This record gives sequence, C-alpha cells and structure tokens, in this order.
Amino acid sequence: MADAASTQGGFGAWLLDPKRRGALLVTPALTILFVMNIFPLMWSFGLSFFNYKATSTRVPKFKGLDNYADVLTDEKVWERFQTTAIIVGSSVLLQLIVGFLLALLFAKEFPMRRIVLMLVLTPMMLSFVSVGVFFKLFYEPTFGIVSYVMNFFTTDNFVMLATPAGAIAGIVIADAWMWSPFVMLLVLAGLVSVPKYLYEAAEIDRASKWRSFWTITFPYIKSLLLLAVLFRTIETFKLFDIVYIITEGGPGSSTETIAVYLYRTGFQFFKTSQSSALAYIVLFIVIVLTNLYLYAVNRREAEVS
Amino acid sequence: MKTRNLISGLMGATVLAAGMGWTPVSAADVTITMAAPDWPPTRFMKEHFDATYKSPAGHNTTLDMDFIPWPSFYERVAASLTSGEQKYQMIVTDSQWLGAFVEGGYYLNLTDKINSDPELQAIMQDLHPALVSAYSTYPHRTRAQLEEAGEVPAPGVNYYGFPQFPDTYVTFYRQDIFCDEGEMKAFMDKYGSNLPCSYEDWQDTDWTKWGQIGEFFQRKAGDMLAGETLDDDFYGIAYQAGKGYDFSTMAINAFVWQQGGDIWDESKAPSAQAEGVVNSDVAVAAFDEYLSYLQYMPPVAKTGQMDIFVIQDLYMQGKVGAIIDWVGLGEPVLDPSASKVHDKSAFGPAPGSRKDDGSIDRTGNIGGQPFVLTTWNSDEVVDEALNVVKWWLSPDTQLEAVANGGQSGLMSVMADPGYNDLRPWNRAHVEMIDWQKDVWHIPEFFEMLTQQQEEFDKAITGQISAKEALDAVAEFQQELLEDIDMIE
Amino acid sequence: MARRHREIGKAGWGYTAMTTVVGFIYFFPVFWIILTAFKTRTDALAVPPKLFFTPTFDNFVSVFFRKSITTGTSQATDMALYFFNSIFIAGVSVTAALIVGTLAAYAFSRYPLRGNDTYLFIILTTRMLPPIVVIIPIFLMFRLSGLAGSYWGIILLYTAFNIPFSVWLVKSFFDELNPEIEDAARMDGATERRVFFRFCIPQILAGLSATFVFGLILTWNEFLFALLLTGVETRTVPVAMARTMGGEVGVDYGLLAAIVTLFLIPIFFVTFLLQNQLLRGVTFGTVKK
Repeated sequence: MADAASTQGGFGAWLLDPKRRGALLVTPALTILFVMNIFPLMWSFGLSFFNYKATSTRVPKFKGLDNYADVLTDEKVWERFQTTAIIVGSSVLLQLIVGFLLALLFAKEFPMRRIVLMLVLTPMMLSFVSVGVFFKLFYEPTFGIVSYVMNFFTTDNFVMLATPAGAIAGIVIADAWMWSPFVMLLVLAGLVSVPKYLYEAAEIDRASKWRSFWTITFPYIKSLLLLAVLFRTIETFKLFDIVYIITEGGPGSSTETIAVYLYRTGFQFFKTSQSSALAYIVLFIVIVLTNLYLYAVNRREAEVS
Repeated sequence: MKTRNLISGLMGATVLAAGMGWTPVSAADVTITMAAPDWPPTRFMKEHFDATYKSPAGHNTTLDMDFIPWPSFYERVAASLTSGEQKYQMIVTDSQWLGAFVEGGYYLNLTDKINSDPELQAIMQDLHPALVSAYSTYPHRTRAQLEEAGEVPAPGVNYYGFPQFPDTYVTFYRQDIFCDEGEMKAFMDKYGSNLPCSYEDWQDTDWTKWGQIGEFFQRKAGDMLAGETLDDDFYGIAYQAGKGYDFSTMAINAFVWQQGGDIWDESKAPSAQAEGVVNSDVAVAAFDEYLSYLQYMPPVAKTGQMDIFVIQDLYMQGKVGAIIDWVGLGEPVLDPSASKVHDKSAFGPAPGSRKDDGSIDRTGNIGGQPFVLTTWNSDEVVDEALNVVKWWLSPDTQLEAVANGGQSGLMSVMADPGYNDLRPWNRAHVEMIDWQKDVWHIPEFFEMLTQQQEEFDKAITGQISAKEALDAVAEFQQELLEDIDMIE
Repeated sequence: MARRHREIGKAGWGYTAMTTVVGFIYFFPVFWIILTAFKTRTDALAVPPKLFFTPTFDNFVSVFFRKSITTGTSQATDMALYFFNSIFIAGVSVTAALIVGTLAAYAFSRYPLRGNDTYLFIILTTRMLPPIVVIIPIFLMFRLSGLAGSYWGIILLYTAFNIPFSVWLVKSFFDELNPEIEDAARMDGATERRVFFRFCIPQILAGLSATFVFGLILTWNEFLFALLLTGVETRTVPVAMARTMGGEVGVDYGLLAAIVTLFLIPIFFVTFLLQNQLLRGVTFGTVKK
C-alpha cells in the first residue's frame, strides 16, 4: 500500500501527506514574505555593519558595531525619539478618545445609519499626501479656514504652526482625524456584540450607567481596544508624509520624527549603513514595546479569568 | 516593437541617405531616456525635440522623458542612481547634487569631449561664466577662478553639466500700488525717497528701502490701499523663509555675500575655514538684517513655512505688494485663472546691499537646473546625447525656449535685441545673472544644508538669535568638514 | 445572533439628525476638498474661504487633458491609465494576499506548528519598519530580477505588505469557529478540501470581506514604493497626484482635489457595499468567547 502510494504519487504524494499540510499551506505566504520583505531586511541588516555610502565608489569596510555606537551616542537621535514618542502617544490617545466617542454614537441602529457612517469612514480612504497638503492649507494663517475661524476668537492672527507645541498639535490633529475611524470600527464591533440581556439584567439590578459600562460593555471591547492601540502605535511610529508636508520637521527640529530622520540619513546624507543601524534600533524598540504590551495584556487576562 | 523601430529607422535613414547622395557611417536607433521634473521647461524640451530634432549622425533618435513629479524628483533620481538601475542616459539635476553623484560614479565627466569638440567649446565659451561655474564644474571652481584661466575648458577643471533652465530671483511687484500717486507721495513724505515704480527705480532699491516698503504697506483690513478699501490684511514685502530644502539658505546667502561675509568656500578647500567665517560678525549682522524684515511679512513668516511657493501664492492672491522669487515661478503670475494680479504686475532686479560708493551689490544664489550625462552608456549614445546638447543650446532652440517660458544661459542669445521683450522678467533676469554664485557642491551638501536650514528655521521662528544659529552652523560644518578632510 | 444585536438601542429619525450633524462635522475636511475640486485657483485661495462660488469643471478636465506648451492643443495625460493601474494593482494584490493569507491562517489555526507564535510575530514584524529602510535592497532586487517597472513587481510587493494583516485577522476568524462541526464533517467522510471550502470558508465570509476592505484601504494610497518601483506604464494615481505639487506653482489645489475626489469614488463604493460585512467581520473575528 505504501509502495503503491509512493510509485503513484511520488513527490506529489509526499508533499500532500497530511503531516505536512500545515507547512504546505503556510509556504506561499512565507515565500512571498521572505522574498519581498525578509530578504531586503536582512540585506540592510548586513549593511548596518559596514561603512557603505551610496555616493562613494570605495569598497565598503567592515565596521562591526561602530554604526550602532554612533547612532546610540548621537544626541539628535534621542531628541528625535522623544519627539516621536510625544507624537505617537498623543495621536494614539486622541484616536482612542475620538474613535471611542464616535463608536458610542454609532452603536445604535437608526435610519440611514449605513450612509451616515460613511461620512465618518471616509478620512482613512484619503492619501497621506492629500491630507498633509490640505491640512497645511487649513492652518495657513492667510488662506486657511482654521485660521479664519480662530481669528474670531483671538485678537492677534492665529498662527497654528509658529510654536513647537502648535506644530505638534497640527500634525497630531491631522493624523488622528484620519485614523480615528479605524479605532471606531474596532470599538463599534465590540459594542454591537454585547448581548442585550446583560443590559436588561443590569437595569433590573438598578446598576448605574457608569457601572454597567465598566462591568458589561468594557470587557467586550477591551480586546479590540488593545488591538487598536497595537496597530495604531505601530503605524504611527512610521508617520512620515504628514510630518514632512505640514512642517518638514520644523519649527527648528521640534517635529522631526524618527521616520523623517531615517529618511534624511538614508536618502539625503547617503549614510546608508548608519541609517540601517538606526532602523534596526527602531525595530528593536518597536518589538520590545509590542512584547511588553502583549505581555501586559496576557497577564491582565490571566488575572481576570 | 524594438526590432520594427530599428528596421523602419534604418529604412528611413537609407532612403534619406540615398536621396541626398551620401551614406551615414552607421545609422541606428538611439533612445535617450532622460529623468526630468514634470514642469513646463522640460515639457517644452520634449515637445520641441519631437518637432525639430534631426540627428546629425543620421540616427533615429528618441528622447524618452521620464517626467517625475517635482516633490519626488530627488528621491526618484537618487534611488535610481544609487541602486545601479542605470535607467537614465541624461538627468536634469540640481547643481548642488553634482558632488554626491559624481563621486558615486554616476555623472559623466565631459572635459575630454569638450576638449576634442570645437562646437562644444564654442558653446561653453558662450555660456555665462556664472552658469558654467555653478552648473558644470566639479570640484567646484568659482567664476573668478575660471575667468583667471581665460580659456575654455580651463586646465585642471572638470566639466559635467549644461543649463536646462537657468534661474535667478527677481522682484515681482504690483505696479498699480507702487505707481499710485497718493501712495508715492505718502512714501516720499514719510521716508524722503521715492517708492520704486519703474524698472530703473528698482535698480536703485536697497534692503533699507525694502524694509521701508514693508513697513509702509503693512495695512489692516479696512485701511485704504491705493484709493481702495482693503477687505483683508495687506503686507508690503515677502521673501523666502521656509524650512524645506533650501528655502531660506538661498536668500540668506545673498545677504551674507553682499555685505562681505562668506559661506564655507569649497573652491579654496582645504584651507578655507567654516568656524570664524560662517559665524563672522559680518555674517551675523547680515543674517540679523534678513531676520529684521520678517516682521513686515505675512503671518506665515512666523511658522518658518514661508517658502518660494507660499510667497508666490500670497502675491498672486493680492495679499502682498512685492516678493523676491524665482523667474521660473513667474509664468503663473500672468495667468488670469490663477492670479488676481496678472494685469498689475511688473518685474525688477532683486534689491541688494548699498556699498560705500553708493552702488548696490546684488550678489545672489543661483537657482535652476543643469542637465548631465551618465557614465554607463556606449560611445554611440554619448555622442548622440552630445548632439542633443548641441541642439538644445543652439540659438534657435534657446530663443524658442525663452518664448515659451524658459530661460537661456547663452550670452549671445541674451544679447539678442528681442530677448528682453520675450518675457516681462527677462531684463531683470539678465541683470541678475551676472551676480550669481552658488552654494556648495560637495557630496556632504545635503547634510550641511539640512543642519543649516534647521538652525536658520529656529532663528526665523524666534527660538534662537542669529548669532546662536550661525555659531551652531559653523561648529557643525567645521567638525564635519574636518572629518572628511575638506578642512585641514 | 445577529438579529438580536440589531435590536440593541434602536433609535429614530431624531437620532439620525444628530449623528448626521456630527458625521458632517467630521466629514467637513473631505467636503472642503471635494468643494475645492470645483474651484478656480483664486476661489480655492479666497479670503474669507468661499462656501458659495461658481463651480468650474476645468480641474476635472485637466486631470485627463493638458495643454501642449508649444502648440496649445489639448493632449491626453496618462491619468486614465493610472486609474486603471491603481485599481488593477490594488485589486489583484489585496486578493492575492487574502488567498495566500487565508491558507496560512488556516494552517496556523488548525495545524499548530512548533514555534507557531514566533512565526506569527515575525510576520507582524515585517510591518513595523519604516519602508524607507528597505527601499535600496528592494530596488536593487527589482533591478536584478527585472521586476522594476512591471506589474508583477509592484503586485508582489503589495501582496507581501498585505499578508501580515491578512494572516492575523483571518486566523482570528478561524480560531472562533467551532472545530466540532468540522470534526463531525470529517467523520462523515468529507475530505479536508471539502471541510475547508464547504464548512470553514462560508462561515468567515464576512471576516474575509472585512480583511479585503482593510487591505484595500492600506494599499490604495501607497506612495513611496509606487514612486520608486513603477515605470511610466505602471505608475499609480498617488504618484501622479504628486505632479500637482511644486512645479511652477506650489500646489495646484483644484487639480489635486479633483484627482483626490475621483480617486475616492471606487474605494468609497467598495467600502459602502461591504460595510455590513466590515462590521460583522471585525466583531466575529476578534471578540473573545
């Protein structure tokens, strides 16, 4: 029997053996990922140990960990990390708040809900470039509609981007506006899934709204909220176009995120190796953060159950 | 497809050759792919090429322009070059990129070709020396150094680029308000000098008067301007003060040079210093003067985002009386669908610093783009590309280009009696081009520029003083340049 | 189940009015962009900002036609081709990622391998780096393999970008399914293929639709790789959009707004059509039991 199978199917039968089915099914995805993502990643990982410069014809020399040391001792890099942390932190927080409020609003069934919901979903279908360009126009002190409206409330001209704080706010608002709908979708999904009888029970118990929210609603949306935080943090860490278009990192360097700095070192300064090293430090930080986060989430869940 | 082109090309050439009674040495299909920013001066080049170019070598030549959006042009070119894509035979480039891409082995050194070709020599001799210096030489040679050598090509100098669009900045101003009798009288009463109305008036305008114009025309909504009530705030002046790319360096360099200061001078490397030069008292005073006029400019000046396009928009929408901007951005000002001041605008030379003898120094930082050849092409392609260069820099093509919104770098063309009338800013452009110098060309150009723009931006947005900014710039440049042995 | 959810908090037209107001405030920047598409440059930059104006369709015409510089005649831009490219490239790559990702997700869910979590984490990791970092190696690879400028190259790359998200989402849908039903089917002699196609897939269709829409939204506007890895023939709309910025004028607001508006239409309708699935899909996939 076994003989027959091998002579009939040969390699094909070997491949289709149920033992290998799992591996077989994963293969196409991993192959594409390897070729298009992991291989280039390893390539630049290798480069990070040399002193390769794309604008020099000299043969690159092996430098060991020098690039990493250079990057880690560079004050500028730490400054950029702080800026990034502030922007990512405030943007994700704002997305959570706005997304959550919007989700509460849309958690009910009402006439034309499908259409009204589309109004809120549209921002995330726009390109970063167009959001950047038009928000910059909105903030422009002479032509901008934001400045026009704000000038009714201030005596001086309202100039959003003139201070570091204002510039950060300008970027955070644009980014949070674009991606709050994403958070809303996830939260909304959680809200809709809460079985109605739980609320009815709470009503009978005369539980306060606040209490029923924490004991009934929150557990249902918690895992989704956490997922939203994870995805949005990872994505916002890469924020580039909006910053580059609205402020170019200014005033001074107060909005220069790590993604903008990476672009500059790699593409404008052609310090290819050094920018690779910096990129791997960024990747390392993101991985550590993600793991800490997942660890905290899992522990919480373990405690709860 | 390719074969068919080749065959038809060959047949075409053969028929032509037979008809004219001579046989070309070898006629072939030559495709020259050119990386070009997507805007009218390059679109013109492509259209005019298709309409008029005939290969003197008898080739069937295609100019295949890869039009790349301006904001991404640098990224596309840099990625293509540094990855070794070898896609382009010709590239439009900013003069400042020369160092990085010559050192990377991507831009072709044309010195020998020029040496052995009298036609090219004649062209180089006819090109304005300021343009040859800025657009063509690497390592960089100043105009003075080239003129000292006296011959073209100068011995020991390497040549790379030719002008695609030579650009300078000039003054765009509102003739209707600058020539308004009431305003002129009020200005005279207040400052004891005339409001510049004619071209000649602008030739005599220095920065002091520029500041006075700014102060004079700063009006609130509801105030009167040239006999009409303003429905919005109005400002007298604006120039570039933006963080992006080189959108403040270009203007600040002018102030520094005019007042006798200097930037780090790469043509004197490795003896030229940064520390003590870049942050000299003269340079600090010049930068301070530049900053002092910002108070008269539209509120966007406070954000450090007032770049060359922002001032152009403010001007076109009638929010500001005079701006200093690139000639290359002049065309939309005359377009009624984009500009409210299309019929009210005139152009003059940019202001400068008045010297002790009363004359005005207008030294400025050149703009525009040269185009270059790349290193990976066969002799046949290189020779044909040089034929395209000769076609582009022939007087006929150049005059046609200027008539369609371009500019020429050829002195013979600029001397053409009709030249100044082809576009309203041409007279100012020709006057300004004589004053042009250029910022650095070394491969570390971008690193120096970015750091400098960042410090300038801090000063523009009021975070630090002019001295602090220039000290930081000088310190950074000194260290960087010592590291790479550009300073001993 | 779904029916009971629908009954939660049913509200009337009054509520619709309120949400419409809030929704419109949120939508206002998009509305302003669409409005700008119908404005001349002077109207787009008017002070005070103009809500009422004489609409012009010039911007939409200039999306597809431009005036020749030398002759003044009208020439076609390649925008129609770019719209086709965007739809084709995004459609194929998101679908491909969904198929490949679903297979992998099924394996991760049903045939746990050793180090399963590690693989899953590595897959997610590939989305964490700013894309600028891998540009040069990818560019080089594309050149060596001749993929640069071809449809296949950019489609493969976008597929790779969508796989992590697809695997993670779809796996969570499979995890929610009741394996007993599958086992019962196997007992009845159903082949693995039948179990997969007849029992598993139909149950997670909503989830697959949700994944498709998310993938489409993330791919639709991708700019950097499209700029560097597509040629003149395969260029997508986001790249072409950049031509409205920084030539002779800073930003051609009207033209940019017109392209944005046109480019919004396809993805808006796909999202609208799959909206119910989008909500159900997300719910289904990620809420813990």
